[in-house]
Amino acid sequence: MRLLALSTVFLALSSAFLLYALSNETRQLEERVQAQERRLASARGDIAVLKADRAHLARPERIAPLARAIGLVQPRPAQLVEASTAFD
Amino acid sequence: MQHGVMIGPGRLAPLAGTGTKLDKRGGGSPLRSAAVAFAIVAAFSTVCGQLIRLAASGGGAFQINMSAPVATGFARPDLVDRNGRLLATDVEMQSLFADPLLVVDRDEVVEKLRRIFPDINGDELRRTLAERGRRFVWIKRGLSPALAQRVHNLGLPGLSFRPELRRAYPAGTLAGHLLGGVNIDNAAVAGVERYLDQNEIVDSVSGAVQTDRRPVALSLDIGVQHAVEDELAAAIETYRAKAAAGLVLDVETGEVVASASVPTVDPMHPEKTMDARHIDRLTGGTYELGSIFKLLTVAMALDSGQAAPESVYDVTKSLTAGRFEIKDAHGAGRPLSVAEIFVKSSNVGAGLLALEAGTQRQREFLEALGLLTPLRTEAGAVAEPMVPKRWDQIETITIAYGHGLAVAPLQFAAAAAALVNGGELIQPTFLKGGAGLKRGATSKHRAGGDGARRRVVSRETSARIAEMMRSNVAQQGGTGRRADAAGYRVGGKTGTAEIAAGGRYEPNAVIASFLGAFPMEKPRYLTLVMLFEPERTAASGGEITAGHTAAPVTRGIVERIAPMLGVMPLTTEPSR
Repeated sequence: MRLLALSTVFLALSSAFLLYALSNETRQLEERVQAQERRLASARGDIAVLKADRAHLARPERIAPLARAIGLVQPRPAQLVEASTAFD
Repeated sequence: MQHGVMIGPGRLAPLAGTGTKLDKRGGGSPLRSAAVAFAIVAAFSTVCGQLIRLAASGGGAFQINMSAPVATGFARPDLVDRNGRLLATDVEMQSLFADPLLVVDRDEVVEKLRRIFPDINGDELRRTLAERGRRFVWIKRGLSPALAQRVHNLGLPGLSFRPELRRAYPAGTLAGHLLGGVNIDNAAVAGVERYLDQNEIVDSVSGAVQTDRRPVALSLDIGVQHAVEDELAAAIETYRAKAAAGLVLDVETGEVVASASVPTVDPMHPEKTMDARHIDRLTGGTYELGSIFKLLTVAMALDSGQAAPESVYDVTKSLTAGRFEIKDAHGAGRPLSVAEIFVKSSNVGAGLLALEAGTQRQREFLEALGLLTPLRTEAGAVAEPMVPKRWDQIETITIAYGHGLAVAPLQFAAAAAALVNGGELIQPTFLKGGAGLKRGATSKHRAGGDGARRRVVSRETSARIAEMMRSNVAQQGGTGRRADAAGYRVGGKTGTAEIAAGGRYEPNAVIASFLGAFPMEKPRYLTLVMLFEPERTAASGGEITAGHTAAPVTRGIVERIAPMLGVMPLTTEPSR
């Protein structure tokens, strides 16, 4: 009888501990997921800003005067040939 | 602690005076002890069983129920041009709010914030912060990181930031009219942005949550758009025009490759399009377009078989209808063929062709081209055509050369595209690949159409029109000579329309237009250039006609955009 009682107490305690450990692990995993999601959202925000920055820097209104400043001009018709005939 | 003495291995003898008590207590009710023990075991077993079950099922879905956050704005997909270059995107910005209950010194808050934001209404903010029943008050939304940092450095209690999505247009004013714009909540107010909202291509979000949606590709080409805007801005300077508009349309697909109206608007301030000077002149207004309408009149005459390009009409006499007399300003002094009527832009000739066809036929033809019914695109409704209430002989004559019927330039360009693409009417679209409009919307707004291409003139008529357009630019004496971009086989028609004001036409206030297409052996792109009220300048040889203003602008545009569009220059004229 006593053995049975002790066994059940031990079983209950170990189960409780196991459950606590699992619950704790779940919480930690959830925190990690949330942290990852925060980092992901932050990274996506950064990417959006960088994309906008790149597009802003590459806008034709900015590139055209820079190109002219280094001596580039519109191609003349004689300078354009089909790629297939360029090396004939 | 054991009570007793050892009397044998492992056994205890009860001490005197204790035996009775022990016996009485231990052996009083064995049944009851067993029952209690059983109950305890059962209870523990139940608890253990439940714990084991919970532990074993721990891998199941973990669910947290939270009240749904209130949506505070919209996450919008990126807008890109036909080559994937970015035109609009959402970026995270900080918005400043206050909790009036936590604000310690209202005057200090207002005073310090006004140093950073001079446009804040101090009295109103002070009053709002005094409302202790409120826990949330927006102060300034969409702050740049630098401004947000300055506010943060003030260290004022009761002020906090909330991240929000704000629309950014990295190309600046480029295609501003077409893109439209959004309000403070990132909801569309105009243009293609509005198309996204109307077709539910946006997500309601709380905070700065980027959308997972794929970018929406427009039909525009950023390079072509810039070239058109740049040339139009230069033309305004050169010809001292009040405004200018330009369009490049793919006549095969209906895709608008460039759509520009100068002065431009910044999509960050879409409210400016309400200003008359800044309206989108391609879609937001209707105009009598003048002689470029002769393209339609000649096509009507050729397609019905009433005339051939060689058919000759006597244009030496003026046309009289009621009290009106129509004559050519610079008459040839001899009868002209239909091809010559086109090239020399004879008003009398166009009038004669329209009279010969008749009012009914003219109306049906323009109806078939979609010029008498409202047009809708992804950027919204195009200004409705102003059709004359009375359409008699005099209207038939004037409409033949572009007066009396006012249409939006985009609508006219779509109709003209059908005359050079082999004869099929196309639906102009601002989305890559087209089909941006739902079929229902298309059929509702496009007369007799269901979004599919519809033949309006024969292939032969289309080919003849293309030949005449090329002749008008390539031949000596053609009004479009100055549009001839070397190597790119441009064709087109000029139109100089006097602007009606106070019930009469003002001869020195004109809209100079050039409707062009290239390469004319198989037209692929249609261009429309319009200059509003150009002045007589040295660059135009003292003229304000389209041949001296809009035509050379078209040449400049074609020379820049043809290489971008993959149209190869040729040194010799190809045969059709």
